[in-house]
This record gives sequence, structure tokens and C-alpha cells, in this order.
Amino acid sequence: MLLFFTSIVPAACAGVAWGILGGALPGISPSITMALLLPLTYTLDPMVAIVMLASTYVGAEYGGSIPAILIRTPGTNAAAATVTDGYAMKLQGRAGEALGISLYSGFVGGLFGLAVLVLLAERLSTLALAFTPQAYFALGVLGLSVIASLSRESLVKGLMAGVLGLMISTIGTDPVTGLTRFTFDSPELLSGVAPILVMVGLFAIGELLAQTGEKGWQAVEERARIVFPGPAMWRRIAKPQLIGSVIGTFEGCMPGGGGAVSSFLAYNEARRWSRHKEEFGHGSPEGIAAPEAANNTVACAALIPLLSLGIPSSNSAAVLLGGFLMHGLLPGPMLFVQSTDVVTGLYAGLLAANIAMVILGYLIMGPCIWLVGRPKPYLMAFIYALVVSGVYAIETSEFQVGLALGFGVLGYAMRYFAVPLLPMVLGVVLGFMVESNYRRALVLSSGDHMTFLQDRISAGLLVLALVFVIGSLARHSAGTRHPRAI
Amino acid sequence: MNRDLVFGGACLVLAAGYYLMAAAIQDSALSDAVGPQGLPKTYAIVLGSLSLILILRSIRQPKPLSPTPDRRSPILRVAGMVLIGILYLAIVPSAGYVLSLAGLIAATTYYQGGGLSARVGVVALSGAIFFWVLFVAVLGIPHPPGIWPSLF
Repeated sequence: MLLFFTSIVPAACAGVAWGILGGALPGISPSITMALLLPLTYTLDPMVAIVMLASTYVGAEYGGSIPAILIRTPGTNAAAATVTDGYAMKLQGRAGEALGISLYSGFVGGLFGLAVLVLLAERLSTLALAFTPQAYFALGVLGLSVIASLSRESLVKGLMAGVLGLMISTIGTDPVTGLTRFTFDSPELLSGVAPILVMVGLFAIGELLAQTGEKGWQAVEERARIVFPGPAMWRRIAKPQLIGSVIGTFEGCMPGGGGAVSSFLAYNEARRWSRHKEEFGHGSPEGIAAPEAANNTVACAALIPLLSLGIPSSNSAAVLLGGFLMHGLLPGPMLFVQSTDVVTGLYAGLLAANIAMVILGYLIMGPCIWLVGRPKPYLMAFIYALVVSGVYAIETSEFQVGLALGFGVLGYAMRYFAVPLLPMVLGVVLGFMVESNYRRALVLSSGDHMTFLQDRISAGLLVLALVFVIGSLARHSAGTRHPRAI
Repeated sequence: MNRDLVFGGACLVLAAGYYLMAAAIQDSALSDAVGPQGLPKTYAIVLGSLSLILILRSIRQPKPLSPTPDRRSPILRVAGMVLIGILYLAIVPSAGYVLSLAGLIAATTYYQGGGLSARVGVVALSGAIFFWVLFVAVLGIPHPPGIWPSLF
């Protein structure tokens, strides 16, 4: 009913089309594609906006495989695993077949991820009504503990980025006393820094600046047409699709997992379990099916921790979280109680998005190839124009555009210094929740810190966070001692 | 000087400045046990400590100047892109959205190596009109009209 009587289907189609186009542009990741769309969704109905953003994620994961197969340049990080066999098939004159396998496997993976999402997310959120300020604080700490696993190259720099994010979250009005903090007497900063500005700045403008001065990408062969796999091929790629979907589910739920990690894991496992191991690397259909199923499963599975606990496990999930916050929706335990229509609409929208991906993936192959073939200076100029126009649209404020530009410079600097971006986003998004609930809990307990251990949910979440941090530190330590073992 | 050292030094200075500002936040009669300065001060101390660790580590184990082998643009070229954005913000209140955006598109295209030709101008103006139609006419979001309405 939802699918037919609301604007969910057009929103899903628009999101998927946008995602495919964005994902097809090398260097424009799913999170950047979503961040570019984020301001445009501001005036839309919350459910429609969320569906559009989530559908963009679905479309972008497929879109990334188009340049990976056609020009050996992955449009997204997750599509890097598709390059080897996809491009090999293209060299054999089977580009259309490779694109068809990619599209079909993405569809299968997306449906698998959606089924898992529907089954798990609401069950996790049944704790909702028992949540106290102590538990919300502990949930925030659990979210922040993710930083430890996101900082692969340098734990110290990841933690620094997280603290910087927490510091940004303190700008504005104090949640308990109402005093202003770090506003420099600017009325625009009284309500704090909106997470959307940080995300658009760090992801979209930062990447735009990082791309400055780089060479354009290779021209695309204009004749490529999708060829959908037949029954014999369906049977052959069913196993790698299942492998990819299962791995994608686990990685999607795991903080820091994401599409890229799951794609490579799926590729390796598909090769391990294949009867045609020798074909891998030389144009194996299974070598495309497994990673493509995995990264599209991630696009749905990543919503499990986001919807049920309010914890984004990847950059794209963080941008989607920004979309929720922009519309006054707080993902987490209460979402399923207070905004069931949004959740149901999102499920329906994701179903529509996965179906739309197959149709639009076929239909907009031509525009995609045309877009990738445009001169890079024009593309960058239009992306810049879209960003400044979109950010202005949020609160019709030039100050906000300047702020986003500032965060863009910060995003570039962080890339330059090899500092991970997601910890900062987590700090900004979770900072207010952590501080306000920490202080509320202390007010309720007359300043007794033991209250966080006396509340059972809070204690459980804090222990989980501790286990998570210790595990990440142990992995870091092992990685530092044996860097070649990775 | 390697990049970790520079980043650590910058964050250390930031932590010190942030701590001083946090300490200067006035107290309130409504204040709780932690107060409005409590967590900001803690964040500053944690950031300062992490910065010191990064600085000491980078001094003890200096890395090569380019620890990030992937694509990186020269800083001056990046500054030029930022300047285009700042100029756009400076002129948009008076020149209006369409003209300013056309300027931004043309300047960015030129700056990114697209050359300066009539085609660039046409594309920039068409692009600006496209964005005006999208945001103002379709989505109903007002963008600065500039001085033009007052002239006619």
C-alpha cells in the first residue's frame, strides 16, 4: 500500500538514479553522493527524504562498478574488488555481460540485506522503553568506542579526530544551563553546528578540494550495453552471491566494515569455494557476483545498527544519520516507537530502490557513460555549484555556506594529514547526546557516578564498549607488531 | 618536519586555546555537578595529551614527508578553489544568485583547466539558470536576488 499510495517509489527511483550517476564518477563515493543530495532533501517530507538518501546509497554501490568494469577505475572503494574480473571480461568483449552480472548480483544482495534488516532492526530496538539518561549516555559511549576500530592507520589520530568532533558538538547553547559556549557572540552559532554542515564540508567539499589539479579519468567506450545473465549463469553465480550476501551482512553491521572490506572478503571467499578458481583474475563471473552482492548487502545491513542503536557504522550511514537529524528524527531505540511510519516507509523504499536499481541500471547506462565522459573541470564546477546552492538552501544562510566551506578545508587538511574523517563525524553526531545525558543522569543521581553501573542497560552497554575498545586495541597492537601479517 | 608533527602541534595549540575558552565560560546558578565547562575542559586535556603522544611518536619515529602516497593536490591550488568559494559568498548578496553562481561555475571550470572560452560562459550561465530553476522555481527555496529587483 505504502509503495503505491505515497511518493516513496518516485523518491526511491530518484535516489537510485542519483546514486548510480554519483557512484559512476570516480572519486565520488556513496557518502559524497549522499552528502551532495542531503541539502536538497531538506524541504521534502521526512519519510521521502530518508528513502531518497537510503536509495542513493543502494544506487551508488552499483554505480561504482560501471567505471570499474569499463575503464578499470572503480567509481567507489567497494567496487575495487570488481575491477580485476570486470575489466578482464570487458577486454574479452563481455563488458555487457559483466555489467549485467554486477547489476543482478547487486539486486540479490540488496534484497538479502533488506530481509535481514527487517528481521533484526526492530528486535534490537525493543529495549527502547527501558532507556534512561544513563543508558543513552552509555549508548553514546558505545558509539564513540567505534572510533577505535575505525582508525586503522593510526589510533591516536582517530581518537584526536573523535575528540575534535566532540569539541565541535559543544559549540552553541549548553544543554543544561542554557549558557552559550564557543559562539564568539555569533547568533548563527547559538543553535550549534549542524552535523549536515560538517558532513557536506568534510566529505563533499573536502573531496572536491582533494581532486583539484588531478588528471581527468579515461574516456568510456560508448557502446556498452547491459546483458542480463541467463538461467545457466544464475546457477553458477548463486553460490558467490550467497557468500557475498552473508559477508556483507556481517560487515555492514560491524563498525568500520563497510562495502570495501566486505567486497574483498567476499571475493576471496568466493574464490576459495569456487570450482573455477583458475578463472579468477581472468574474467570470472563469480569474481564480480560475490563483491557486488556484498557491497549492496552492506547498503541495507549498515542500517541495522543505525536504526536500532543510532550508531553509524560507515561514512554513508553517518550521512544518512545526518538526514535523520536534519528532519528532527533521532535514530535509535525510540525511532521504532515514535516514527514507525518512517521506518516502514524506509523498508518499503528500500524494496522499491532495489527493484528500481535493476530497471534504472539498464535505462541510465547511456547517461552514465555520457556523464563519466564529460570534461572533469565542468563536472567539478557543477558539483561545487550544487554544494553551495544546497547548503544555502538548508537555512537560507550565507554564514552556513561559509561554515561548510570551512569544514571543507578541514576535510582536505584531514586527508592531507591522513586523519580519518568518520571519527570526527561520530564525535559531532554523538557529542550532544553523550554530554546532555551524562549530565542529566548526574543531576538525577545527585552527582553519583555509580549510577551508570547501577542501571543494567547502561552497565551492559559500557561493558560492551570496553570490550570493543580492548579488542580494537589488541588488533591494533598485533597489527603494529606484525604489520606484514595484514 | 613530518606531517604528524605538524598535525600534533596544531592540535596542541588548539587544545590549549579551547581549554582557556572553556575555563572562561561563566558559571550559572542552574549549574549541575559537571557544569558547562566540565566536559569541554576534559576534551581539551584529552586532545592535548593525544597531541603530545603524536608529537613524541613522530619525533622518535620520523616518517617520510609523504606518508600518504595517494592523490594529494598542492596546497596553493586548493587555496585557489577555496578563494573562489569565498568570492562567491562575497558577491552573491549584491550580484544575485544566478550571476554569482555562473561566475563560480566559470571560475572553477577555468581554474580546473577547462580554459576560458565562450563555451565556458554559455555552460556556466546555463548551469546557473538550471540551479535557479531547481532550487527557486521547483523547490521554492529563495536564493539572494541581489540588487536587480531594486533596479527594475
